[in-house]
Amino acid sequence: MATDRIKKSMSILLASILLIMTVLGCGDATGISSSGDSQNNSNVTSYKKAIVRDEAATAPASKELNNHKLVTENNNYALYLNEDVLSIIVYDKHTGKYMESSPSYDDGKVGDFIKGAMRSGVVLKMIYGIRNDMQADLCNDKTDRKITYTDDGFSADIYWTKYKLGLTLEVKLLEDGIVARVPDESIREDGNKYYFGSISIYPYMGSTYLDSEDGYMFIPDGNGALIYMDDKDGRFNSGYSSWVYGEDVGFDESKPATLLWDRYEVINDAYKILAPIYGMAHTDSEIAYLAIIEEGQERAIIEALPNGAGQIAYNRICTWFTSRRIYSQPAGNSDSTEVFKVLEEDRSHSDLQIRFVFLSGDTANYCGMANAYRDYLFEQGDIVACEDNTYRTRIDFLGAESEKWVIGTKIVPMTTVENIESIYAELKNQGITDIFSVYKGWQKGGLYNLPIDDYKTEDEIGEAKDLTALIKAAEADGIKIYLYDDALRINPDENNATFNTIKRINKIKYTEDTFKDVYEKFMFLTPARTDELLGKFVSKYTKDGVYNLALGGISNNVFSYTYNGKTYSRYDCADNYAAIVSGANAKTNLVLEQPFVYLWNSMDAFLDMPLYTSSYIYEDEFIPFLSIVLKGVVPVYTEYVNFEANKQEFFLKMIETGSYPSFYITEEASSDMIYTNSNDIYSSQYSVYEDTIKSYASELKAVNDKVSNAYIIGHEIGENGLTVVTYDNGVKIYINYGSAEISADGHTIAGMSYKVVE
Amino acid sequence: MKKTSKKLFISLSAFLLAAVMFLSTAKQTEVQADSPYRTYTVDGYGSVTETQTAYLPYATITKIGEEALVGPTDFTITKDGYMYILDSGNKRVVVSDMEGNLIKIFGQDTLVNPFGIYVTSDHTCYVADRDARSIQVFNADGEFINAYGKPNHPLYGETLDFLPKKVVVNDSGTMYVICESNTNGIVQISPVDGGTFLGYFGTNNTSASLWRIIWRAIQTDAQRAKSQGNIPSTPDNMAIDDKGLIYTVTRGEQYDTLKRLNIAGTNMIEADAYEPVPAATAVGNHDNVFVASTQGYIYEYNNDGELLFVFGGLDNDQNRIGLSSKVEAIQIGMDDKIYVLDSDDARIQVFEPTEFTQLLHEALYLFSKGRYTESKAPLTEVLEMNNLFDYANMAMGKALVQEENYEEAIKYAKLAKDWDTYSDAFWEIRNEWLKDNLVTVILVIVALWILKKLLEFFDEKYGILELPKELLEKFGNLKLIKEMRYMFFFMRHPIDGCYGIKREKKVSVLSANVLLVIGIAFYIINKYFCGFLFKDVREGDFDIFSDMGLIIIALLLVTGCNYLMCTINEGEGKFKHIYCSLIYSFAPYLVFMPFIFAISHVITYNESFFVTFPTLFMWAWIALLVFISIREINNYTIKETVKIIGLTIFTILIALLLAFIIYVLGSQVIDFVQSIFREAVYKIGN
Repeated sequence: MATDRIKKSMSILLASILLIMTVLGCGDATGISSSGDSQNNSNVTSYKKAIVRDEAATAPASKELNNHKLVTENNNYALYLNEDVLSIIVYDKHTGKYMESSPSYDDGKVGDFIKGAMRSGVVLKMIYGIRNDMQADLCNDKTDRKITYTDDGFSADIYWTKYKLGLTLEVKLLEDGIVARVPDESIREDGNKYYFGSISIYPYMGSTYLDSEDGYMFIPDGNGALIYMDDKDGRFNSGYSSWVYGEDVGFDESKPATLLWDRYEVINDAYKILAPIYGMAHTDSEIAYLAIIEEGQERAIIEALPNGAGQIAYNRICTWFTSRRIYSQPAGNSDSTEVFKVLEEDRSHSDLQIRFVFLSGDTANYCGMANAYRDYLFEQGDIVACEDNTYRTRIDFLGAESEKWVIGTKIVPMTTVENIESIYAELKNQGITDIFSVYKGWQKGGLYNLPIDDYKTEDEIGEAKDLTALIKAAEADGIKIYLYDDALRINPDENNATFNTIKRINKIKYTEDTFKDVYEKFMFLTPARTDELLGKFVSKYTKDGVYNLALGGISNNVFSYTYNGKTYSRYDCADNYAAIVSGANAKTNLVLEQPFVYLWNSMDAFLDMPLYTSSYIYEDEFIPFLSIVLKGVVPVYTEYVNFEANKQEFFLKMIETGSYPSFYITEEASSDMIYTNSNDIYSSQYSVYEDTIKSYASELKAVNDKVSNAYIIGHEIGENGLTVVTYDNGVKIYINYGSAEISADGHTIAGMSYKVVE
Repeated sequence: MKKTSKKLFISLSAFLLAAVMFLSTAKQTEVQADSPYRTYTVDGYGSVTETQTAYLPYATITKIGEEALVGPTDFTITKDGYMYILDSGNKRVVVSDMEGNLIKIFGQDTLVNPFGIYVTSDHTCYVADRDARSIQVFNADGEFINAYGKPNHPLYGETLDFLPKKVVVNDSGTMYVICESNTNGIVQISPVDGGTFLGYFGTNNTSASLWRIIWRAIQTDAQRAKSQGNIPSTPDNMAIDDKGLIYTVTRGEQYDTLKRLNIAGTNMIEADAYEPVPAATAVGNHDNVFVASTQGYIYEYNNDGELLFVFGGLDNDQNRIGLSSKVEAIQIGMDDKIYVLDSDDARIQVFEPTEFTQLLHEALYLFSKGRYTESKAPLTEVLEMNNLFDYANMAMGKALVQEENYEEAIKYAKLAKDWDTYSDAFWEIRNEWLKDNLVTVILVIVALWILKKLLEFFDEKYGILELPKELLEKFGNLKLIKEMRYMFFFMRHPIDGCYGIKREKKVSVLSANVLLVIGIAFYIINKYFCGFLFKDVREGDFDIFSDMGLIIIALLLVTGCNYLMCTINEGEGKFKHIYCSLIYSFAPYLVFMPFIFAISHVITYNESFFVTFPTLFMWAWIALLVFISIREINNYTIKETVKIIGLTIFTILIALLLAFIIYVLGSQVIDFVQSIFREAVYKIGN
């Protein structure tokens, strides 16, 4: 059982720590501490750095290690290189532990190909004809090579003579790890037979054999998940493999694999990777790394394979940068027509760069990784600390929907401006004004009359001036209302979608199926059009002196597309969206719906944070990685509580992650929406949720007021369902997910409950 | 220092303990997760709507102790909490507790290629072994005690092989066996005298569709011999409940893939949605029935076959918890957990009911026992969690009718599309209204009557109504209005009416067109806005353009084909006359429909006669008028008219076939041209 594995590893960890301490003679062993007591609270920059290493001088590293020779060293780490295969070792001078890019243990069962991938610093999957999985590496293939050493690392020009492909790998040692980079201009395709398919840099970084090392791999699925490096007994024949920022709709068929009765989508989409990160921790050796894909992430796949997957007994995690892709070009319109396999005309152009941030000692765990990532984001300016992190209950309203009518559609009003006023008034009477609202479906024509390019409200819910008045009046009470705009989609049934909508890379119009009755499909606007329409809307909206805007659609979609005969890459799309969103942020108070990391510096709040994962079978533990990164930086709101099956567990999850609850509310009964596209909102009426909102508001506020601007610096998942979260202001929260009462650190926590200790 | 060593000791022992525990326990991975699948339920129209998660993935059992399974095909859960897993790939039976800890293994020595297992309450284990051609029986200790081979009975079929695949056993020890390639039904074997054949049971019916009958009629003998015979399909799996009723599932049919058979072998369940590829079925603890499809969809029905939930799905290499690769068996634990056996992944997935489902089960139980009032509390909670949950709305409607709260009941009944309850509640409400308003109604009628009499009186005396009368007459004498009014004459005197159309130019194409437009309007209004009880389209569904198109195309087709046939059969009718007479034949529709429409709003099923009879009467009248007008316009005898109608129908069929062929060929051509174009663009582009 997994819990026993944890138990085992915890016990080993405990035992070894105690052993070391006994040997070293330090008497005051405190047991396991996940991280962060060494926290240095010096507030030098505008943010608090969570991970600070003490600069104790250490002995110089030896000249050679496992057939690798010393390249360079600094205060913390030494970098070793094997010139034959360009594999490296990063040696932690404080602890004497190291991590290899190529596992030194050989079980003697892997073939040449896999061994090649395992040992080489760079591995290619080449495209040959319509095959895209031909491997080229530095062991099995002949290469011309030139290695240049620099002060802080090395640079290697590699040229596969047979395939006429070349690139330069640069590795630099930093104070907190290394950066590996392949500059775009160094990538050469000289022949016309072989092309770059995908490129991986150090694919076996930190890889371990079966359960030889205790530890885990961190994958960015949902909020975060761990795959333990225990012996999986060959239970999994594959592992995690996922595009950063989700699949590219410009290439991949968006159709689900199976439909119930050929009609209904049954399987929820897996969560998209919101931030291009992953990690590996060797808990016994107390060394870990967090990998951040710094360049090329829009076309990268993160792959994590537990032992047994692909008949290989090693645990490994890596990035595959996709250079060229093969796509399907149907010749006709019907399903039966021939489909060509076509190679993308040009390779994608971007530097490929991964930063491996190394962690050791008590930060060599996922919480340390999350803290390191927060530090990194601050340093890069990718997040900005929000002034107002206080607790608010998010109460979203659905204004108007539409159902079919004799000709065209008819509006179904669900929550009018007046309704909202009275709901606020009622909550205010109860003393609840810590409210954050997103108003959806306020626009003329209702929720799915997209796109929005004007500040015109649906008549049935009230006039624009009433809405403006409501927003201003609420603001005075401390309530924030944001108008929702899906700036990505256009509804072809209501608006002309012939122009300014994207085509896929095969020049076929992209449509998104809703599997609903009223509006069966949507299309995507081109980023240029989004910019134009959003700009129009924002200027009209802000003219009235209201600035609160919630953006969806463009916040978590990025794709390749063609328009007017020109092809645009995912990089273009992401850059465009980043510019559009930061432009909007300059003019409005912007909140974003489940945004990708490149938009995080343009938001006042993060909406719809996943509290779980996509439930992959090989995931051993859910961890609130993104929550640890963002707690105390910006307010984070969960997905809607309405649709959670186990409300109590979800409540505890909110406490654990420090996220704020979200409700989707309508004044009318949700059964009124039975004939609309929103017929999946089966429970939303205010009268039903009134009491829940009130009790959540008081209870969660009490907890979060103690930690609202604090960072999470420690997170431990113990046996028997007890989770302990430590904040940098000293507050500890114990959450008991088990049904039985648990005692820990002198506190008793009832079953399915929590306790806050200051 | 001392403290430290004590801690060390404790932690080391903890480690040892953990290690020991790890070695001895099974590979059951407990998960704390969101579900990767959606859950659906069926609405009143039989189409699905989303609902909250009914069952969450709870655990996955991949190993029993340290024993890995290979291609398991069946398992049984006993009431005292043991799982008997038929580990077919390893030709053995593996027994475990509900957490997957190994209890024992048996059967390695005797089993050859087993497919089905059943365990009775006293832990006697029956295994259907196809290649051993027998049912093997093991006692509670796993010792082989008996085997039943091919029944030695003339009725079994001399040449028929005995290839048992699934078995269940009732309280008296009678075995029900599903055999491969035995299409006679489930084989019933009594344990008496080493196995007595009792007969076949629960044979599926063959279905002969109209199409199949026509197809077979035009096939040659040789073709008929070659084509697959119309053989009933054998059930694929079964389950037995406490009362000894047998549940079967059959693949490859559209309907009746789930059956509940009583002792006589009669099906007693009619589900409102069927899985086309069911793999297994199981009986729940609340009179509910579960069906699992090979693709991993899990269905829960209530006792009446109403679908409560469907969830799960095919994993498709996604490796997500709760999805399956190839489901072989399903079982329900005593705590309502669902256990699903997957042979490709060699594992058992466990699903746990959510709060919502538990509430629903409670309501279900109370409701089925007729304790309507008590069931209201859990039902209210269910409905708060899901306003649109059809079954709960239906039950709530019924419960409220019991409480005589008809105003509320009718709302729920309408949401649930529970027409009977709606009808009952509506009857009561109307009754109440009548009681309250009867006097008023009578007074109004009397007042109107007096008013009419007064008007007549004053008109006679002073002529006060002369101006309106004159205006009305003037209006009535407008050419178009006059032509339209002709329909009243036409419907009463069709023979003279046709003469008028043919010879006296009593109508024009314009008037016919206006009537057509009015007729279409009536049709659409009635279709979408008639009383709820008599509406046969979904609420919220509008498709008037195709309605109009359909009517116009049908009209043109009928008129055109009829005209074509008439011209070559010495008919006298001109196209215009045929068109006009056909439209005027629909005069009863225009006359009756407003009344039918109005009545449909005020009557219930008890008086549905008032809608059905006029409707029938109207259509009979229309048919008669059509017949007469064809005869009169063309001056045919009755015999000729019958012939011409037959010919017209035939021509219509041919025309439709032609249109279909042209459509298919046309789209092929278009597709072909497009392909060439695209390919050219692609080649030039490269």
